[in-house]
Amino acid sequence: MFERVEVFYRPASVREAVRLLAGGKGRARIVAGGTDLVVDGDPTARALIDITHSGLAYIRKQGGGCAIGAATTMAELEESRTILALGGGILARAAATCGSIQIRGVATVGGNLANGSPAADLVTPLLVLDAVVVVADAKGRRKLPIAEYLAARGTKGLRQSLLVEVTAPRPLGRRCGWSFQKLGRTALDISVVNVAAGLQVDGAGRIQWARVALGAVAPTAIRAGATEENLQGRTLDAEAIAQAAEGVMREVSPISDVRASAAYRREMCRVLTRRALEECAAQAGCAL
Amino acid sequence: MSSKKGFSRRGFLQGAGVGGVLGTGLLEREAEAAPAGAAIAGPGAVPITLTINGKPVNLTVEPRVTLIDALRDYVDLTGAKRVCDRGTCGACTVLMNGKSVYSCSVLAIDAQGKSIETIEGMTSPEKMHPVSQAFWENDAQQCGYCTSGFVVACKGFLDEHPNPTEEDVKHGLGGNLCRCGTYMGVRAAALQAAKQMKGGKNG
Repeated sequence: MFERVEVFYRPASVREAVRLLAGGKGRARIVAGGTDLVVDGDPTARALIDITHSGLAYIRKQGGGCAIGAATTMAELEESRTILALGGGILARAAATCGSIQIRGVATVGGNLANGSPAADLVTPLLVLDAVVVVADAKGRRKLPIAEYLAARGTKGLRQSLLVEVTAPRPLGRRCGWSFQKLGRTALDISVVNVAAGLQVDGAGRIQWARVALGAVAPTAIRAGATEENLQGRTLDAEAIAQAAEGVMREVSPISDVRASAAYRREMCRVLTRRALEECAAQAGCAL
Repeated sequence: MSSKKGFSRRGFLQGAGVGGVLGTGLLEREAEAAPAGAAIAGPGAVPITLTINGKPVNLTVEPRVTLIDALRDYVDLTGAKRVCDRGTCGACTVLMNGKSVYSCSVLAIDAQGKSIETIEGMTSPEKMHPVSQAFWENDAQQCGYCTSGFVVACKGFLDEHPNPTEEDVKHGLGGNLCRCGTYMGVRAAALQAAKQMKGGKNG
């Protein structure tokens, strides 16, 4: 639905894109794959700024971790060796569930984040990976931890900025486990609930580091901070997992909508968290 | 001056007298803000060249025109269907550089420089592609409206996955919907076509 769009820009650099955005007086929209913008049908958009030729389609190794350009497609993430090797490949797994082949060939990392859907598939794995978002505006570039980016996304400070890159730091070393769990009506559907988890245990099987993130159960995807704290230092066993799965139900605030009721979503948080932590335990070599 | 057909530089836009074209005045300010290097298309119709089924096709479209509308209304290729027009149903599927895309979600101007393959370039009643043949033999259609999109998506999928399982097919063709519910026939057709295409006859 591009009926009111009059001008189409194709900037060759981030700098140009940012200047166009600032000059658009709120009526210019960034477009990459276009899969959200088409459905959105934003009637106030008069100009489109296509960033698929602005040098933002890349996946680079960076200091043991990696940097992903905003215009990288889901299909590219799914198949990238670097992404498959990062954090047990949870980001690649999430990308592989993001809509159909037709969508994944054009939909981008930047779009998945910047659209701000609480159900966005990439966000929970990125929260678990401690990802950092790089945004650019007329003043320059800045880095924001992904949780801060999600909170500030719609505010005045970020409205005129372009999401440029997402970076994930060097993943942890030995005895780690990772998982991405998604519940949708069909395999390709948007998430009813999704959960990502990551943890590391020491030689005695005690949890040294834990991340649990949940999507589609709060205004943005969230980390279950209290549950993570409770896991810290505990032996990773069936009891710890059961308690964590109960715990996340108190940290979420789901709504009822066309896809599921709030009560069902809350219950599924427990189920998916249990499955995620069980998968993590198996990878970390902890018998349950 | 222009690096690609359909795009021009700032100087051209100013020279063309944007102010007269638009009533809003908004785009004048935008044009001023546009950096010298940014490629601009519009306002108004712009000439573009698309490579459709191996042949270059020249047309003049406004920047907002989607690929599906360009194919159907400007090039008279009506095999791809405009059904949901919101990137969900798959009836508008075409191959762009060999990959399935929803042509309702791609701007025609953005499809320049890419190889576009539609159902018309793939198959005909006289010389059926193995995928079309398999759809016919497996009753993989009822009303037929989703069929051209399904056949194109199926060819795109099989080109990249020559040995799919039924589960692979189910996932790979999950981006196409059929209101008549012919999915069982479609999956059988895809598996049959996969076997036949491996002979390399029609690729």
